[in-house]
Amino acid sequence: MAYSELIKNFNRIREYMREFYVYGFKSREEYTKKSARSYDDERRRVESWLGDYMQFRQTPDGKNVFLSIDSRISRHNPLYKAWKAKSFTDGDITLHFLLFDILHSPDVRLSLHEITGEIDERLLSFPEPRLFDESTVRKKLREYISEGIVLAEKCGKTMYYRRSDSPELPDTDLLDFFSEVAPCGVIGSYLLDKTQAHDDRFAFKHHYITGALDSEILCTLLTAIGEKRTVTMETVNRHRDRTAEKRVVPLCVMVSVQNGRQYLMAYVPRYQRITSFRIDYIVSVQPEDICEEFDALREKLRDMLPHMWGVSTQSVSEHRMEHVEFTVRYGDDEMHIHRRLEREKRCGIVERLDANTSRFSADLFDAGEIVPWIRTFLCRITEIHFSDQALEEQFRNDIDDMMRLYFPEGGDTP
Amino acid sequence: MIFSELYGVYYNTVAKVLRTAVCRPLPKDELRTIIMQNAFGESMLTIEPSLTEERWQLLRQDGTTPICHIPIMPLTLLEKRWLKAICMDPRIRLFGDDLPDFPDVEPLFRPEDVIVFDRYADGDPYDDEKYIRHFRLILDAIRKQYPLKMDVQNRKGSVTYLVMQPDHLEYSEKDDKFRLIGDGSRYGGTVNLGRIVSCKPYPKPFVPDPGKRREKINRTVTFELLDQRNALERVLLHFAHFEKQAERIADDRYRVTVTYEKEDETELVIRILSFGPMVRVTAPQHFVNLIKDRLIRQKSCGL
Repeated sequence: MAYSELIKNFNRIREYMREFYVYGFKSREEYTKKSARSYDDERRRVESWLGDYMQFRQTPDGKNVFLSIDSRISRHNPLYKAWKAKSFTDGDITLHFLLFDILHSPDVRLSLHEITGEIDERLLSFPEPRLFDESTVRKKLREYISEGIVLAEKCGKTMYYRRSDSPELPDTDLLDFFSEVAPCGVIGSYLLDKTQAHDDRFAFKHHYITGALDSEILCTLLTAIGEKRTVTMETVNRHRDRTAEKRVVPLCVMVSVQNGRQYLMAYVPRYQRITSFRIDYIVSVQPEDICEEFDALREKLRDMLPHMWGVSTQSVSEHRMEHVEFTVRYGDDEMHIHRRLEREKRCGIVERLDANTSRFSADLFDAGEIVPWIRTFLCRITEIHFSDQALEEQFRNDIDDMMRLYFPEGGDTP
Repeated sequence: MIFSELYGVYYNTVAKVLRTAVCRPLPKDELRTIIMQNAFGESMLTIEPSLTEERWQLLRQDGTTPICHIPIMPLTLLEKRWLKAICMDPRIRLFGDDLPDFPDVEPLFRPEDVIVFDRYADGDPYDDEKYIRHFRLILDAIRKQYPLKMDVQNRKGSVTYLVMQPDHLEYSEKDDKFRLIGDGSRYGGTVNLGRIVSCKPYPKPFVPDPGKRREKINRTVTFELLDQRNALERVLLHFAHFEKQAERIADDRYRVTVTYEKEDETELVIRILSFGPMVRVTAPQHFVNLIKDRLIRQKSCGL
């Protein structure tokens, strides 16, 4: 098939864009194990959509393509552009504009026959007018009814169609802001496309944009959560070389604003437990029946949250609960350290032991999740204790390894 | 359906083409300009011939159109559901009290459906009336470009007075705070909205001192990363929001260069420390020394 910058299916480009944006060190040869043409087409598409952000680097292994985006500078998520590249037929676009021209106001109500007649009349001025039969027009109208942009009303035996009402769009500042920070923000970007050009008044710091690529999956999951439905989903493993099908009850979405990952928290009937799934590892979601136990399961998850540092509900040690505590010491001019503990803790307790010492403690399902945060206090940790001895040993060994990394000869150490 | 041509660049571009053609015949060069300004890099290759060769029978050879009205598409159900969902967000009141209402539509999500689990606990008070008033005034001042006078509480608790020409607002999802970025302030052109005690329009003419303009100073840090315990993915996702470059230097080793703002250096040091021995900073030397200093101090803690 001839190359087109538009695409029918989002999944393949989703993977390429993630690779180009998050990783960006692979050469063409590494992508082309499956198909060189596929790589060339996808790279060309991404370049067409996001040319300003695309960069190239020549390495001994070949030419590397990557997307370099400083999300603090770009006021709108550039990855949203990919969602605006859905392919369509010549008939689709022609019919779209004709239909909404004919149904130009919510007051215009017409039957299928009348609409088809109006279409024919408008196209008569072309030398070779395109013909749309009633079944094609009916199919398109049905599609638009499900999208909520056309309404159907039966009068006697005849169905009449009209466009739905168009409420005024909210302020562009509101859309600019929420299109970047709200789940499925791409929908806000769609709304912004309907507005006039305007100055952007918001910038974003610590702004992770990769989740945009998972918008369709997220949207389907949120709809299933709203309807309390079980879903069947297809997931890939971390190395993306194996897929699996899972039947789960989605309970909520957990989002990290410190690494941009989005997780689905779901009950897995097969294992009778609540667990997390990376949303970027979900390939497809199929809504199923309504789950009668949804409210009780969500309540159960809510009770678990005070013992979750991240999204893990089970430790490697296989103990139900693990205890962790550590003590930090700070100078008279470093009182912000205690405030940091208070501000950054997600659960657990912070105690002030004296004017210059504070202790954090928590009982967690998986104490391994808190280790990166504890390391951010390196230079002032005076005591640390994990109920999981192996974890404590690893923590201490990691500090020794860091010392060896930065002081290979032991030279600069005191 | 979120992935639909209804929201696509092509439909939006053609709507813009027709907006003009409804009023007057559209010359080809103007058609090209609209496509270039609104569509993708290579869209010209498709949109122009599709219209001019009448595969999309929306534009005639003479630049007129069979379309009689300016094309406007109603809001889709998905758009209404999203708008209804964001109207339940506590930050929505910052933007006014007159919000869209869709009584017959279910929100796409409710606040309890999405949990941000690692946001800092001392975010801005979005339900505080004074905060809301300040936010709205600041946004208005940015729109209309007038200066503001403010009393701001500093870190030590004392209140300082400043005048500022506001430029834009910056929001951090991690801190859950807004900062006003502008010119003219003695304190670096950045004010945390949560620290503003009072805020009013500055009624006199105000010319910001160019010497006090907020200047971004970018720095880079380069580190090597050992891909164990899934470090490659964790590190690259963690630093994804920065401008960065990554290259493979051995089978399980990578070199990553991150560009950051100087004012965020301490934050970057602790973020790198959080990855433990999986990451080793190699340049610049002053950054290496910052890490070394922390390790030396840690060693002296007697752990």
